[in-house]
Amino acid sequence: MNDTKERVARCFATVFPDIRQDEIATASMESVAGWDSVAHVILLSSIAEEFGLNFDLEEFRSLVSYALIVDFLERNSAHG
Amino acid sequence: MTLNQALALINSRKGNRGNAVYSLACGFEPLHLATLLRAHLLERLPGDGNVEVQSGVYGDLRGNIESAARTAATACAVVLEWSDLDPRLGLRSSGGWSNEAKADLIANCIERYARLEAAIVALAGRMPVALAPPSLPLPPIGNTIRAQSSVLELELEQQLARFLLRIARVSGVRVVERSRIDAPAAALDARMELIAGFPYTVPFASALAAALVDVLCQPAPKKGLITDLDGTLWSGIAGEIGVDAISWSQEHHTQTHGLYQQMLGHLAGCGVLLAACSKNEMTTAEAALARKDLFLNAESLFPVCANWGPKSASVGRILDTWNIAADAVVFVDDSPMELDEVQRAYPGMTCLAFPGKDPAAVWNLLGRLRDLFGKPELMEEDRLRQSSIRASAQVREMAAEGGSAEFLRTLEGTVTLAWQVDQADKRPLELINKTNQFNLNGRRMGESEWQRLLGRNDTIVAVASYQDKFGPLGKIAVLVGSQAGRKVRVSHWVMSCRAFSRRIEHHMLDSLFRHCDAEEIAFAFANTEKNQPLREFFAAVGVSPDAEGAYRILRSGFVDGRGALPHEVSNLTE
Repeated sequence: MNDTKERVARCFATVFPDIRQDEIATASMESVAGWDSVAHVILLSSIAEEFGLNFDLEEFRSLVSYALIVDFLERNSAHG
Repeated sequence: MTLNQALALINSRKGNRGNAVYSLACGFEPLHLATLLRAHLLERLPGDGNVEVQSGVYGDLRGNIESAARTAATACAVVLEWSDLDPRLGLRSSGGWSNEAKADLIANCIERYARLEAAIVALAGRMPVALAPPSLPLPPIGNTIRAQSSVLELELEQQLARFLLRIARVSGVRVVERSRIDAPAAALDARMELIAGFPYTVPFASALAAALVDVLCQPAPKKGLITDLDGTLWSGIAGEIGVDAISWSQEHHTQTHGLYQQMLGHLAGCGVLLAACSKNEMTTAEAALARKDLFLNAESLFPVCANWGPKSASVGRILDTWNIAADAVVFVDDSPMELDEVQRAYPGMTCLAFPGKDPAAVWNLLGRLRDLFGKPELMEEDRLRQSSIRASAQVREMAAEGGSAEFLRTLEGTVTLAWQVDQADKRPLELINKTNQFNLNGRRMGESEWQRLLGRNDTIVAVASYQDKFGPLGKIAVLVGSQAGRKVRVSHWVMSCRAFSRRIEHHMLDSLFRHCDAEEIAFAFANTEKNQPLREFFAAVGVSPDAEGAYRILRSGFVDGRGALPHEVSNLTE
C-alpha cells in the first residue's frame, strides 16, 4: 500500500471506527452502512485536513468511494 | 485540536462507561462543532468516561433550544449566528438586501430576540447554558466601505448588545466573551456553508468549542487570597523608609501596586476572602494599612499576620481562621524565596509572584486572578462572606474560651429552615457542589438531576439560613433526602465551613425528625479525604454503622445524645 492509500485508509478508520481493514479498499457510500451525507462531509473534511487541501462542490458530489478518492488524490498530486 | 485529533480521541473512548450528556443548540448543521465540542469535553472532564453531544435540526435554533430543555442533559451550549435572527443575514438565503428588506430585517431581529430570550430563560431554568454570540461577519450590506461602520451594522450590533445584556442577567446563562475565542483562522468557511450548511473553518470551530467548554466546565473558584505587603501591596519596605514613603501611584511610578490594590478591592466586593501575611512589625503593618489613600479598604484584610516567623506559619494561622483548605487559596508575594517556602508547606496552594517592576506581567497577573476567582454569578452569600468570616472567627474564639452551649445562647441565633425550595435559587446546588468538610459523602450533582429531585413527591429538601447578633450568614446548609413511612434516608448533607461551631447541624437533624415525624434517619454516608468535621459530628451524636454497615440513628438515640439546642428555629414550609 502506498502512502496516499495508507493515509486515506487511516481517515476511513477514524471516521468509520467499525469498518474492517479489509473492507476499506472497496468501501463506498453504498457498501458502508454509516456513510450518509453527514459522514460524507466528515470523511472528506478529515481527508482534506490530512492532505492540506479543500474539495469543491463537484468533488464533494463525486468522491463517493475509497477508490475514487485515492484516484483523485494521486492524480492531483501528479499534476501538482 | 484538529478534526482528526478530535475523531481519534472520541474513538479512543468508544465503549467506555459513564456517559455525560451535553446539548448543542444551533441553527446550522452541527457537524464538526459537535465533534470538536465532544472532544474538548472529553479532554476536560475528569476520568476516562464518555460524553454524548445531542444536537437538533437544521434551521430552527429556537426549536432546538426548546428541545434541549426537555432533555436530561448536564448543560447546553447555544450558538447564535446572524442567520438565526434573519436568514437574509446568512449565505444560504436569497431574500434580498434591498432597502425595504433592510428595514424589515431590523424589525424581524427584534422579534426573534424576544422569542429566543424566552426559550433560553426556560432552558436556563433546567440546566446551565453557555451562549456564544454571533462570530460570523455580517453580509456586505452596509453602504460604506468595509473599514467604515454603517448605521445598519451598528444598529444590528446594538440590538445584539441589548439582548446579551438582558440574557446575561438571567440566572444560569453564561455568555461567551467573543474576544476570548482564541482562533488561529477566520470564522467563516463560505465553501462549507454552501456545501454542507456548516459555516465555520475547522480551526475556528475548535476554538469556539474550547471557549464553550471553558464557560460550561469552570473549575471551582478559589475562595481566599493571602497577600504580602512590602513590595507587593505597595512599593517599598515600610519598616525601613517609613509608612509615609511607601507608594502605589502613577505619580510615584508605582502604579502596578495601585492596580493590584484595586484588583483586591474588586475581589473583596465579589466575596473573596483577603488576608495579609508580612514579615514586619505588627505596628508598622497596621500603620501602613491605616493610610487613607489605599485603593483597598484595609478592613477587608482579615486576618493581618505581621511577624518575623516563617510565612508558612502565618499562612497556617490564616487558613485556621478562615477554616478553608489550602487548595482553595492563592498566595501572592514578590519574593521567590517566600513563595517557595509557602509552596513547600502547602503544595495544593496556588502561589503567584508579584512582578511589580513589569507592568505587562502585572496586567497578566490581574487577568489570572480574575480567572482563578471568577464565578458564573454572584449571590447574596458572596456579599456576606467577608463579614461573616470575621464573625465566625470571633465566635470560635469566644466558644473556645466560654466552651459551652451557654455561650452559644448569648449569640441570640436563629436557624431558619426552608422546606420548599425555589427552583430558580442556585445557592443550594452551589453549596452541594463546592462544600468539602461538612459533607455527607462528597457526591456532586448536576442542575438537571437537582431539578428532577425537586420534582419528586418523596423528596425532602431543607435549606438552612442562620443569623445572630454578629449578622447574617445567609444560606449555609442543605440537606436532601426521601421519606418512606417514618423512615428518612438522607442522600446529601452539606454545611458551609463558615457556619461551624454553632450547633446548626444539631438543629437541622432535630428539625428533620420533627418535620417528618420520623423514627429513624439513615444516611448515605461515605468517607472522603476532607469530611472529618461531619464524621466528628456523627460520632458526637451517635450516628454509627450497624451490622450491615448502614449509618442510621433512631429518634430516641438522637434526643439522648444531641445535647443543648441553643438557637431559635423558624420553619418555612411555603
